[in-house]
Amino acid sequence: MTRYFDTLGTIVQLELQQRIRSVAWLVLVSVVFVLVGIVTALLWFSITAFGGSVADSAGVYSTIIFFVLLVGTLVTPAISGAAINGDRDAGTLATTQVTLATSGQIVLGKFLAAWTVALTFLVASLPALLFTLIAGGVPGDTLAASLGVLVLELGVVAAVGVGLSGLITRPLFSVVTTYLVVAALSIGTLIAFTLGGLAFQSQQTQTYIGIDYSVGGDFDPVTGYPENIVCLEPEVNTYPVPRFDYVWGILAANPYIVLADAAPTSFDSYGNPQDLFGAIALGVRSAQVSPELNSVTDECAAAKEGDTNGAYSYETPRQIFDRTVPSWFVGLLIHVVLAAAALAGAIARTRTPAGTLPTGSRVA
Amino acid sequence: MSASAVIEVESVARSFGDVHAVRDASFTVNAGSVTALIGPNGSGKTTLMLMLATLLRPDSGTIRIAGHDPVSDPRAVRSAMGWMPDVLGSWGTISVRRTLEITGRLYERTQTQSRERAQQLIELVGLDELAEQPTRVLSRGQKQRLSLARALVHEPSVLLLDEPASGLDPAARVELRTLVRRLASEGVAVLVSSHVLAELDEMADSAVYLERGVTASDERIEASRAQSRDWRIRAVDPAALAAALKKLRIAASPPDHLGTAVSVAGEAEAAQLLAKLVGAGVAISAFGPAVGDFEHTFLDLSRTTTEGGPR
Repeated sequence: MTRYFDTLGTIVQLELQQRIRSVAWLVLVSVVFVLVGIVTALLWFSITAFGGSVADSAGVYSTIIFFVLLVGTLVTPAISGAAINGDRDAGTLATTQVTLATSGQIVLGKFLAAWTVALTFLVASLPALLFTLIAGGVPGDTLAASLGVLVLELGVVAAVGVGLSGLITRPLFSVVTTYLVVAALSIGTLIAFTLGGLAFQSQQTQTYIGIDYSVGGDFDPVTGYPENIVCLEPEVNTYPVPRFDYVWGILAANPYIVLADAAPTSFDSYGNPQDLFGAIALGVRSAQVSPELNSVTDECAAAKEGDTNGAYSYETPRQIFDRTVPSWFVGLLIHVVLAAAALAGAIARTRTPAGTLPTGSRVA
Repeated sequence: MSASAVIEVESVARSFGDVHAVRDASFTVNAGSVTALIGPNGSGKTTLMLMLATLLRPDSGTIRIAGHDPVSDPRAVRSAMGWMPDVLGSWGTISVRRTLEITGRLYERTQTQSRERAQQLIELVGLDELAEQPTRVLSRGQKQRLSLARALVHEPSVLLLDEPASGLDPAARVELRTLVRRLASEGVAVLVSSHVLAELDEMADSAVYLERGVTASDERIEASRAQSRDWRIRAVDPAALAAALKKLRIAASPPDHLGTAVSVAGEAEAAQLLAKLVGAGVAISAFGPAVGDFEHTFLDLSRTTTEGGPR
């Protein structure tokens, strides 16, 4: 077993030495470092300009984490998407395959190396993250959950990239396909969700029973209602409503929503989420709520019972959170399964002695 | 099969879709010998090498390398076999020394073993001055040497060299030949493919001829060896040589700058001819086969094949 990890470690080292020492990597990491710094500074000044408090650094923190996820998912396919077929083109895959390293060790080693390189972009943004932490206002569990999910999501993209580079012959195609997978998860799920919600529509019937203010005598100075409340004829309106509650599951596969939903949200005294995690998670949570297809707003009956709110009920975001289900683990599970399948496929495809070869490729 | 056969190939075939790269290859290579793998471009040499190197699965037939089957036990074969591919690939940003060290580690050698072996090999292939340079700065010939060193990292008992001499300068070719002969004398079984047949003549003990994926049988090789072939004779006085040949009733080609070519069947007859010519007082300055053994056989075999002879 030690021997297995020894060889695996050698492959990881080999990959890292090839990639981390490259100028392109240094430039990219520096760019990320500077960009995250600029974004942090701008966010900080814009919030303090609006008279925000220290607690708002939770908002800055969550925004930076999303920014790192964005940068990470944009850069990782380029790092990992040609790991195997690029080596085959360069003639270095076969010379590794004839050593005692198995195809499993080669593919996993390349994956671990690509993941490590992706994480260096997270490391480059650590100074900015530390700054928001020192400023306070970021709860420990939010920190742990968001960083954990971010690290895993970068691993998923690295695995998909390495996996596709083993399954697709041409490096260019595998890199592009990896980008398409990332785009499908990040943007495609949003499009599918929106279009799906609009495609499934239901007729909503709203009944409103108002108060006839033209009769009933004087107005009560306290409640504002007439002394003698007379109801109007019920007003019935029907119109189509999109059924996002049927398709909200699609959003579960979105990495940004997984990240937002996984991080525990802190609420202010009005029940509103305090950071970007909460704001985005609220979106997917609200989508779970099915619209009331037969809503009756009986202002008249409510007034008779002395309710001055006019039968309008209002749910705070916190209440919505409390009565809906979290979905991040489903999304994360989908991603991990996708990553594992890609890697398993690549291992099977690079196994030697090779039976069938991808068309148009040479072994060595 | 003899007990010392380290590479045993029997009726091996491999196709890629409709392309039958190797149809029927059978041969053996003994320990301590150098065998040339000879065939025209596209005759399946590299495909055969890849099957021996545990990278390709044969469609049918059996292969044994150091007693192991590359399909069922690639690990055992890999620890006994060193392969130098015809494609020159190297980890561009990594130094020559690190390349060899990493390869050693991938063969499950310890850090210290890998480091020592890397130093030995750097000296062996003469890359001392470039040892700390990244491999992308190496020339083609230097990459060939690195590739050879990489194949030797784990001290294999079977060595597969696919076009090892291409890109090497004459001095390096001589070094390669010496090295290969030395490895053979240490008991390594070497299979080497090349286009440069003259070079194989000097390096190899025996040859396997591959034509359209089929190895030529021993009988056919014997038959073509026995055929009369051209010998080249150069004399100090070409006129005297021409006269002597005419007297001996031997048909000769018109002389060119290399001398005169005559058709001779076998070495015994050649020796007799030389004796007669010397006896006749012709001052002979050069006397030898016009083409090397391998080239003669190769050309003869490919001629009979293209003429529709038995395949």
